[in-house]
Amino acid sequence: MSNSLIEVKNLKKTFGGITAVDIQELGFNKGELTSIIGPNGAGKTTFFDLISGFQNSDSGDIYLKDKDVSNSQPYKIARMGMVRTFQLTKVFDRMTVLENLLFSGSEVNNDSLIKSVIKSKSQRKYEENLKDKAKNILEELNILHMADSYARELSGGQKKLLELARSIINEPEILLLDEPLAGVNPKLADDILSLIKKLSNEGITILMVEHNIEAVMKISERIVVLAEGSLIADGNPNEIRTDRNVIEAYLGKDND
Amino acid sequence: MKISNKFLFAVFLTGFSIYLVFALNPEGASRILLNLLTFAGIYGLSAIGLNVHFGWTGLLNFGHASFMGVGAYVTLLLMPHAAGREGEITSTGLPFIFALIIGILSAALFGLLLGLPAIRLRGDYLAIVTIAAAEIFRLLVRDLESITGGVYGIINYTENLQQYRPNFINNFSESFGFSPSQAWVCLLAWVSIFFTVIFLKRLNNSPWGRALRAVREDEDAVRAMGKNAVWLKLQSFMLGAGIAGLSGVFLAFNYGSLETTVFVPLLTFYVWAIMILGGVGTITGPIFGSIIFWVIISETDRLAFMLFENANGQQLAGVRFLLVGLLIMVLMIFRPSGLLGKKEELLLDVK
Repeated sequence: MSNSLIEVKNLKKTFGGITAVDIQELGFNKGELTSIIGPNGAGKTTFFDLISGFQNSDSGDIYLKDKDVSNSQPYKIARMGMVRTFQLTKVFDRMTVLENLLFSGSEVNNDSLIKSVIKSKSQRKYEENLKDKAKNILEELNILHMADSYARELSGGQKKLLELARSIINEPEILLLDEPLAGVNPKLADDILSLIKKLSNEGITILMVEHNIEAVMKISERIVVLAEGSLIADGNPNEIRTDRNVIEAYLGKDND
Repeated sequence: MKISNKFLFAVFLTGFSIYLVFALNPEGASRILLNLLTFAGIYGLSAIGLNVHFGWTGLLNFGHASFMGVGAYVTLLLMPHAAGREGEITSTGLPFIFALIIGILSAALFGLLLGLPAIRLRGDYLAIVTIAAAEIFRLLVRDLESITGGVYGIINYTENLQQYRPNFINNFSESFGFSPSQAWVCLLAWVSIFFTVIFLKRLNNSPWGRALRAVREDEDAVRAMGKNAVWLKLQSFMLGAGIAGLSGVFLAFNYGSLETTVFVPLLTFYVWAIMILGGVGTITGPIFGSIIFWVIISETDRLAFMLFENANGQQLAGVRFLLVGLLIMVLMIFRPSGLLGKKEELLLDVK
């Protein structure tokens, strides 16, 4: 038994001859806000895909809350309280913003075909409550006025917000955010950052892949650096800022 | 209830096509119309089922004919009938309603069996597998002559349904010169459409309908939210297949004898055309689409004859299909989302 909420051991994934991820041991503690950084192709997104079940590893073990979830179905992992977002935003384009949230917030047994035919009083009540909850979140994120628009009509940044809203409506224990700031204007980026900080303060364990180093340094409690699939540094922002390996990975080796 | 312009346009166009039937056929128009409406009801019901697959869930199902076929064959074989080269008689069997229920359930089960291996495939791959599976089904039924009657088909089964025909149908048919048995099938098909539409309307705005649409939009996101996308797709496959099975039974009763050539891929494509014409993702769209489609199919030879008076039969057949294509093209150019579809939800840009 370890203290870590997520723990990986000897995790390996290759594509053809290229090693995408090769991590001996890495754990993430409850409540921590960790950023994963690294140059392009470092294996950050693949790492997310592996721990969220979207890709199967070649070898190695992944533990979520001390349960072995290696090669589990994504939906089963999500039901254990770990929700992820995607680098390329995946909102439900031809559904309204509100519907996006309602689908995400609805419990699995509320979606049942039979219940949906019967439309019992309790289900209608559940849906009403869900709607209120969804509207509250939209209001908090300043996109309530878009509630009845199709999600495809949102701007790129608003889509990121919607995806975030969709991930938190069911109060997950762990949130995996894949580039939450990519393509977002500076003002909105600040909003998203403070939202992430707030979620972290509420006790949600957050893992974030992000290229905006400034933002990462500002809000992370811990930074993990990957290069060519391997772990090259792990520490708090100050340690990472001065780490030789990290500087080399980003700027290339010094020739002297 | 607010009636939209789209709806009025669809009603107008449908009314106009029915008027065309009378205008183009000085004699026997009402009989032609009954025939048309029967086919329109049956195909419309099938298209409503296909819409659950494609319009709601985004499943590219090109094997719809096989679901209709399973429903029809299972139902007919469970009732008294005659089949095969010698017309071998099976004199015992279930009453119509029980056979029908088993037939519908079999079609749904066939959907599940076909879906289990195939449904993890995406988009066009699923289309290829379903069209192949439908052909396998058809050829299997053709070659299992001892059970299904093979190429000789099944006959003498219509009485199983016609014995329940109420008297008012007979009186009504007599006064219009209809075939009473066809009028009965027509009525049942449209009653089925009515109840299917009510059922689906209930589902459309439900959490289940919402979940299907989410699967249509992005499966990965559905999985990331802890929902089992495969199971949702299988449920959709089963429901749509069951509706198709029901329409297949009516198709069999409309023909009066059943053989495998009914379930060729062309049937699937007709149903697709009807769905697209009516509006992908809508519930009532296929009903209007179906009537208009059948008027186009059956009346274009009249139109071709009026345009080219000296043409012979073979030439007319060519002109007819040309006109069918042209009319559908014109409709799609002016209303790419179909008669009732929403432009914002235009679903033909398959990923």
